[in-house]
Amino acid sequence: MTDPLALEPILGPLERGRPAFNDAPTHDERFVLFEEHIAAGLKIEATDWMPDEYRKSVLRFVEMHANSELMGVLPEREWLMRAPTLRRKLALTAKVQDEVGHAQLLYRVAEDLGKSREAMFDDLLAGVTKFHNVFHYPTVGWADVGMIAWLVDAAAIVAQQALRDSSYAPYARTMRKICWEESVHIMHGRDVVVTMVIGSPAQRAAIQDALDRWWGPLMQMHGPRSPREKDRDLHWRIKAKTSEELRQEFLTIYVPRIRELGLVIPDPELAYDEAAGEWRYAEPDWDELRTVVTNHGPMSQARLEFRRLAREETRWVRESILGVAAAA
Amino acid sequence: MTGTVAAPPTTGLADLLLSMADDEFVIGFSDSEWTGIAPLLEEDVAMSSIAQDELGHAAALYGLLARLAGTDPDAIAYDREPDAYRHCRLLDHGRGDWAMTIARRFLYDSADSVRLDALAGGGWAPLAELVGKIRREERYHRMHATAWLDRLARDDGEGRPRLIAALETLGPDAATVFAPLPDEPALVEAGILEAPMLDLEVRWRTAIEPVLIEHRLPLPPPMRQPDRARLDHGQPFRWLWGEFTSVRRADPGATW
Amino acid sequence: MSGDGGPATPAPTAAPAPTAAPAPVALGTSVLEAWEVFRQEKDGDPMRHGGSVMAPDAELAVHYARELYGRRQESVRLWVVRRGDVLDLDDPDLLQPPLDRSFKKPGGYVMRDKLAAARAQSGQAKPKARSK
Repeated sequence: MTDPLALEPILGPLERGRPAFNDAPTHDERFVLFEEHIAAGLKIEATDWMPDEYRKSVLRFVEMHANSELMGVLPEREWLMRAPTLRRKLALTAKVQDEVGHAQLLYRVAEDLGKSREAMFDDLLAGVTKFHNVFHYPTVGWADVGMIAWLVDAAAIVAQQALRDSSYAPYARTMRKICWEESVHIMHGRDVVVTMVIGSPAQRAAIQDALDRWWGPLMQMHGPRSPREKDRDLHWRIKAKTSEELRQEFLTIYVPRIRELGLVIPDPELAYDEAAGEWRYAEPDWDELRTVVTNHGPMSQARLEFRRLAREETRWVRESILGVAAAA
Repeated sequence: MTGTVAAPPTTGLADLLLSMADDEFVIGFSDSEWTGIAPLLEEDVAMSSIAQDELGHAAALYGLLARLAGTDPDAIAYDREPDAYRHCRLLDHGRGDWAMTIARRFLYDSADSVRLDALAGGGWAPLAELVGKIRREERYHRMHATAWLDRLARDDGEGRPRLIAALETLGPDAATVFAPLPDEPALVEAGILEAPMLDLEVRWRTAIEPVLIEHRLPLPPPMRQPDRARLDHGQPFRWLWGEFTSVRRADPGATW
Repeated sequence: MSGDGGPATPAPTAAPAPTAAPAPVALGTSVLEAWEVFRQEKDGDPMRHGGSVMAPDAELAVHYARELYGRRQESVRLWVVRRGDVLDLDDPDLLQPPLDRSFKKPGGYVMRDKLAAARAQSGQAKPKARSK
């Protein structure tokens, strides 16, 4: 029960509801108040004034995230048809459905920043905007499906949890919904992997092989180390952690869980340095990362082309529900 | 599902369950092909839910069969040769474009609805109970199919001609949901099926004709080759079978 | 946890400021626009804002709202509203006016010292809190 004698805080100018920077007379004054607002840990809504740099940074960040959810569907989609049991088929269909749902949520956030969905699809397909490295690689068997659902999703969720307190409130709220939904995917992935590890020799070998192929891209996924002071996305609190912090967190949680299955991580240098309080590992191949995210990965062009075709094939449907008489 | 189930009161029940389970399994597969590539992101999520519902219904029906036969539902769903599947020919056409999918959903959902109504009577409790649950989920599918049929029919762009073409392609096979089953009289006698399939077909036509006529859409003609309606499966299904059995066949007996 | 309540972000109904959401796409008789979705998590809970969907009309908006905010049986009720129909008030002069209004809040009545004086005068101790 609320104590009726509890004192209410007296709200200062930064907390009075509509943030002051929306009404300050000059751009420079608005900018200063905006920075103070962010630095105080306060939030921005879609209808607030924003400096161009902030708006562009948020849009770029959210758009890449949305693109990744959309493209992330493709590696798993071909295995929807091949899931070996009813339950796995249902679980994988639900997982891929969630990814499409997440793309919808994220494109909505980006749309409300002023860019249309069609423009975002145009830019993705033209290679102007990017999607995460892991979705540029082939999936060669059911073991890959398990490995992606477990470890790729795990690496993604480490990043996504750190975004739940983003300064851009619509994105933060979306991330909370996404994180809640993603927890099931990791469990599905881990279940597939563990089942195969204790299964037939062929299944065990397939899982180890999948780990051997996916470890490199996983270690590259959070990006190269960069100094905190230079990161504008950190300055604006769009994100809260550096690439290295995320990678360390991923290793801390998942290395023991991988090893307890008797799997061998294909990095002989991987070890926890007690004195330094962090993981040491072989330097990820940053050239590979750069090559892949600029759409020169093994499956980049094939997947973009697949998307292009699917979009063209269904153009008439979108025009139909919008009552267009003739195709453009 | 574990445990035994009350013995069925008649022959013919396994054939009925298999035909329904295979119908839901195959249409669930076709519809799930849209996951990731549907016309609108929101629609992608919607169609995927419908596909999952159908697969869930299939799983429950295979579950009932498995309990009757003393086997495992996945074995029934996955470990048969293509010619041993008993889904109706309406569902043998391959996914097609969006109009084909909507046309097939409309035809199948309306037929399935009549079939489910005729099974709700309770001649065999485990099936009647399952049918009760499935019917509640199917309402949502009918809402979706009707909403889309309406939009495509009224479209003065590509929607209407594509819908008409799809209905003309599927038409001769539309009534195959009601292809007569082996031992059907026994099922009717036992109160499991309220009326023979041919009577149900009439009910179905009566139900959908007003909607099709209102939109000036082609009516499904009489069923082509009713005695082969659940037996001859062509290339689209054989391709699908190749896909959905590929992982299992690569490591037979493994647990997934 | 699923979507936080938070203030809704409807587009302004007046001439759009540069920060507004993109105008609805009108390519014919229907318009693809944003619909806000409010959800009730369990019986008795307040309706909370969940997010939004793009749809050309009310029928599909409700359908999509169910998918994005209810397919997991996570809601017992949904409200779906065209974004343009939501009235947005965030004027601080109306909602956070500057003059003292502490007489309207419990925190405006601080009696600690006065009560201490009264107890000293009556010789009584402060009463113990009763547990419910």
